[in-house]
Amino acid sequence: MNEERLVFTWRAMLLAFLLPLVLLWAMDLTMGGSLGAGTDSLPRFGNAILTSYTLGSLVLLGNLFFYADSRQRPLAPLFGMLSAAVMGVVVTVLLLNQGSLLMEDNGSIQAQIFYNIVHMFVSAGAILLALALSLGFTFSTITAQKPRRTVFEEE
Amino acid sequence: MNPMAQAALWFWLPAALVPLGVWLSLSSKTSSGTNFGRFLAGVGMLGLVTSPWTVPDSPSSAAGHLLGFILGPAALLLSGVYLIAFSGHVPVGRLPRSDRRLGVMAFIIGFVWFVGMHWWNLTPALEEEVNRYWLVFWPTFLLLLTCLLSGAALSLRVIGDRRATESNVMWFASGFVLLLILLAMMVDGRHVDADTFRYHLWLAGADVLGTAVGLSISILVFGLIIFLHERSLPEPKSIAPPTDKEFAHVASIVAANLGGGEYE
Repeated sequence: MNEERLVFTWRAMLLAFLLPLVLLWAMDLTMGGSLGAGTDSLPRFGNAILTSYTLGSLVLLGNLFFYADSRQRPLAPLFGMLSAAVMGVVVTVLLLNQGSLLMEDNGSIQAQIFYNIVHMFVSAGAILLALALSLGFTFSTITAQKPRRTVFEEE
Repeated sequence: MNPMAQAALWFWLPAALVPLGVWLSLSSKTSSGTNFGRFLAGVGMLGLVTSPWTVPDSPSSAAGHLLGFILGPAALLLSGVYLIAFSGHVPVGRLPRSDRRLGVMAFIIGFVWFVGMHWWNLTPALEEEVNRYWLVFWPTFLLLLTCLLSGAALSLRVIGDRRATESNVMWFASGFVLLLILLAMMVDGRHVDADTFRYHLWLAGADVLGTAVGLSISILVFGLIIFLHERSLPEPKSIAPPTDKEFAHVASIVAANLGGGEYE
C-alpha cells in the first residue's frame, strides 16, 4: 500500500469512526435539542482531560519500572514522570479552586476529585467493554465465513 | 471509625486491589504468583460489589453497586462473543459447533438484559434514584460501540481482502446500535426519560473526547521524558575489533551449523 493511499485509509477510518457521532448530532439538532448537556459538557471535558492525564501518567510511571530494568535503573525518567503526574494533580486542584470552572454537582473540591476518579473508572469500564465487544464482533464475523482456499500458481 | 476511613478501607482499598491483582497475575512468572494476583483481583471485585452494604454513606459506593449490576450482562455478552468467534472457522483451538448456539443465546440474553436496564424495571437504582454512574456507563458504552463498529466496518472493507460481506455485517451492527441510541433519545424508559438520556449522551461524548486527549498528552509526556533521557546518555564506549583468533572461532561455529543435503 503506497503512502498516499495509507493516509487516505486512515482519514477514511477516522471519518467512519466519527460518522455515527455526526449523525446523532444532526438528529439531536433536528429534534430541537441544543446538544443536550450544552455548557455542562465543558467541565466534564476538562475534568476528563485532567483525570485521564493524571491516572495515565501514574500507569506509565509504573511502566517505567520495566524500562528501568533494561537500563541499569536510572532515576531521572522516574522523577520526570512522577513530576508530570504531580503536575496533573496540582493543576486539577488549582483549576477546581477557580469557582465553578470545573466543579460539577459536588459539594467540595475533595468530593469532586474522588468523583472524577470513580467516574473515570466507570468510563474506562464502558470503553473497555465496547472495545472488547467490537473486536470480538469483528473476529466473529470473519470466522463465521467459509474458509478460503488459496491456490498457489506453479513456479 | 470516621466515614473517610471507612470509605478508604471498604471502597478504595478493594478498588486498588483490582489493578494490583491484575498486574501481579499478568507479570508474575510463577503459577503461584499468577494465582495470588487473581485472588487479589477477585477479593477486590468482591469488596467493590459489596461496598453499598459496607459503606452505604459513601457516594463512591454507587460505582460498586453499578459493578454488581453490570457484571452479569457484561459477562454474558463477552462469553457469547468468545463462543461465537471460536466455534467458527479458526485454524486452532476450535470449539464444538454446539457452542455457537450457546454463544448466540448468551449474547442475546446479555443484550436484552442491558436493554431492560434502560427501558424496563432492571435499571440500577439506589434509594429510589437511578444510580448516577449508570447514566455515565450506558451512554458511553453505546456511543463508543457504534463508533468502533463503524470504524471496524470500513477497516475490513479498505484494508481487508474480499471482506465486503463481513464489512456489511459490521455496518448493520453499527446501524443497529445507532438506532438503539436514537430510540433512547426519543422513547422514555421506566426510570430514565429521553431528555435525561440525551443530556448524558453528550456528557459521555465530552467524557470520551476528554479521556482521549488526556491519555494522548500523558503518552506524549512519557515519550518526551524517555527521549530526553536517552539523548542525555553518553555515547557507548567503542570496543576493540575482533581478533583473528575470535574470527576463527566464529567461523568454526558457523561451519558446524551450515550445510545440509538435498533432502533436508
